[in-house]
Amino acid sequence: MSADKGTNRWLTAALLAPTSMWFLVMLIFPLIVILVFSFGERAAVGGYAAGFTLEQYANLPSRLKAFQNTMIIAPAGTLLCLLVAYPLAYYLALRVRSRYKLLLLVLVIVPFWTSLLVRTYAWIFILGGRGIPALLEWVGIEGVRLINTPGAVLIGIVYGYLPLMVFPIFVSLEKLDKSLLEASSDLGASPLKTFLQVTLPLSMPGIATGCMLVFILLMGEFLIPAFLGGGKVFFIGNALVDLFLQSRNWPFGAAVSVTLVVIMLITVSLYMRLMMRGKTGRDESLM
Amino acid sequence: MSKSDGDKPITAKKFMQYFKSYQKGSITRRHFLGVTGLGTAMAVMGAAVPSLWSGRAQAFGDLGDRLVFSTWPNYQNQVNLDEFTELTGVNIQVNAFGSNEEMLAKLQAGGTGWDVFVPTNYTISNYVELDLIQALDLSRIPNYDAAANNPKFAGPAMVNGKVYCVPKNWGTTGFIVNTDEIKSQPKSWKDFFDVTMGKGSGHTILHDYQLTTIGAALCALGYSFNSINPDELAKAEKLLIESKPHLFAITSDYQPGMRSGDAWMSICWNGDATQLHRDLPEMEYVIGTDGGEIWTDFYAIPKDAPHLDAAYAFINFMQDPYVQARDAEAHGYAPTDARALAMQPDSLATDPILHPAENLMNGLEFGAAQTLTDPIRAEVMARFKSA
Repeated sequence: MSADKGTNRWLTAALLAPTSMWFLVMLIFPLIVILVFSFGERAAVGGYAAGFTLEQYANLPSRLKAFQNTMIIAPAGTLLCLLVAYPLAYYLALRVRSRYKLLLLVLVIVPFWTSLLVRTYAWIFILGGRGIPALLEWVGIEGVRLINTPGAVLIGIVYGYLPLMVFPIFVSLEKLDKSLLEASSDLGASPLKTFLQVTLPLSMPGIATGCMLVFILLMGEFLIPAFLGGGKVFFIGNALVDLFLQSRNWPFGAAVSVTLVVIMLITVSLYMRLMMRGKTGRDESLM
Repeated sequence: MSKSDGDKPITAKKFMQYFKSYQKGSITRRHFLGVTGLGTAMAVMGAAVPSLWSGRAQAFGDLGDRLVFSTWPNYQNQVNLDEFTELTGVNIQVNAFGSNEEMLAKLQAGGTGWDVFVPTNYTISNYVELDLIQALDLSRIPNYDAAANNPKFAGPAMVNGKVYCVPKNWGTTGFIVNTDEIKSQPKSWKDFFDVTMGKGSGHTILHDYQLTTIGAALCALGYSFNSINPDELAKAEKLLIESKPHLFAITSDYQPGMRSGDAWMSICWNGDATQLHRDLPEMEYVIGTDGGEIWTDFYAIPKDAPHLDAAYAFINFMQDPYVQARDAEAHGYAPTDARALAMQPDSLATDPILHPAENLMNGLEFGAAQTLTDPIRAEVMARFKSA
């Protein structure tokens, strides 16, 4: 018996080994490197010089605006994305006839297959001087500046991340037992009440997943602010690109990265706590 | 029917008969080629004319099949690159970068796999110090004629007695103005910033590049373009941050903004100015009276280039005066080589934007080596962008 258990344990270890190795080498080790770098000093010509100093962390407030921008626009973008995605997912899951469901789903995801860069670049033309503002001028509304504003970045975010938000919500709404909705209306609840008290809480796992996916990715986003913000809307991602490529101040860049990871860990765990409050079974969650 | 019909393999009438049969499908292509003598003709031609052979040209030897070329956007003529590939069989992979700092960062990180890249004059001594580029063996670049290149531009290529690169193009940095929108005719960098914060508010572009952007602010305040004096840099930072709300964008890709009419002024390199002025005559290029930059770009080979033979062949090919002139036709920047200049059409050779009068260029400075590595300048730029 114990020989069996021994072989079992050995077998389990052997099966887990590749993934653990990958996890260690690709995730843990680079994180350690960044942590070590964050305590170092910038070499004279750029790059990393060994040392142990807290001055990089002391220098963090110089990037306060970047942190502020990200912490304001990322949640706002997530919320906006949610508001646009939820009705779409609701319609796809509960209102569309099953004949067209697959086709419409494919239509939602096909743009996602195009590179994010190309899709964002297209918005530069739509929001630029020859795009929507020109149209508005034709109608008589002059001097509207859409490009290189936080609004443009928000539009880019919603457009780019919509499929990521739609699918988790769609999945959790599809799992919904229709008989619950019928029961609710049988018991005299109006459609609005049914939605608020039955549908919405039951789709919470999907909402949580979608929001987490979008928010986490948004915290590292630099492409959409770079293109649609024109360098005037500065995210942490942009600050990092600048620190590693332009200033070549790797220790400071490492310090900013570590701070970003810590902020995200705190935010995400708080959010999950909030979302999953009152849920009984762990199997409710899609995460 | 002519007199010498007898010694031809086939008559014209018969040829057309066979051709019609072939078109209808009554005879196969093989039969058609055989009976008309075309098949033999093709074989004879193919053997007799070497340039019809596909495959690597014998003269270059085996250069491998790839060359990784890192350069600036819109800075080469695709016809030249395609011809190089045809002649040697080497496929060129082009990477585009917007600043020297990025190229340096990538080379410092290592493992880039680049074979040839295009650094600007002020970076060469830094690259030599950091041991990131290799000295060139000029005997492998016979097309490069040191005597034909203006020493003012080619000078930075030599560090400690060794030649590390060969010149590509030279140019100036000034600013471009859309004179339809801005009528006040700004002449200096001070005017540039005044208009930015005044009439041109919301329509100016500054480069995402510390050399030119901080340089412009320094010139506007009366300091040197290359200054690394902390007090002067602090004042320049103040000016930049003040102007930031009035900017349209901070980007080195300013052509789309200028062309769409969203931006009315931008820091500009003169080759782009030529392109813009040619397409939109209201675009005027101005060399700031209070300073600016004059620069040369070079071809260089990184220390651990994987395809060294291909790199030398490519640089040699691009140094050919005709190839240089054809390159300049596409991007507009002036070559440093007198032989290439002689081959250019007048529209480019005498273009006042590309070849301004000597006195206009007096205030221009070449970038200095320490400007690249100075940490204060880098941090000023980063804080300006974060602000």
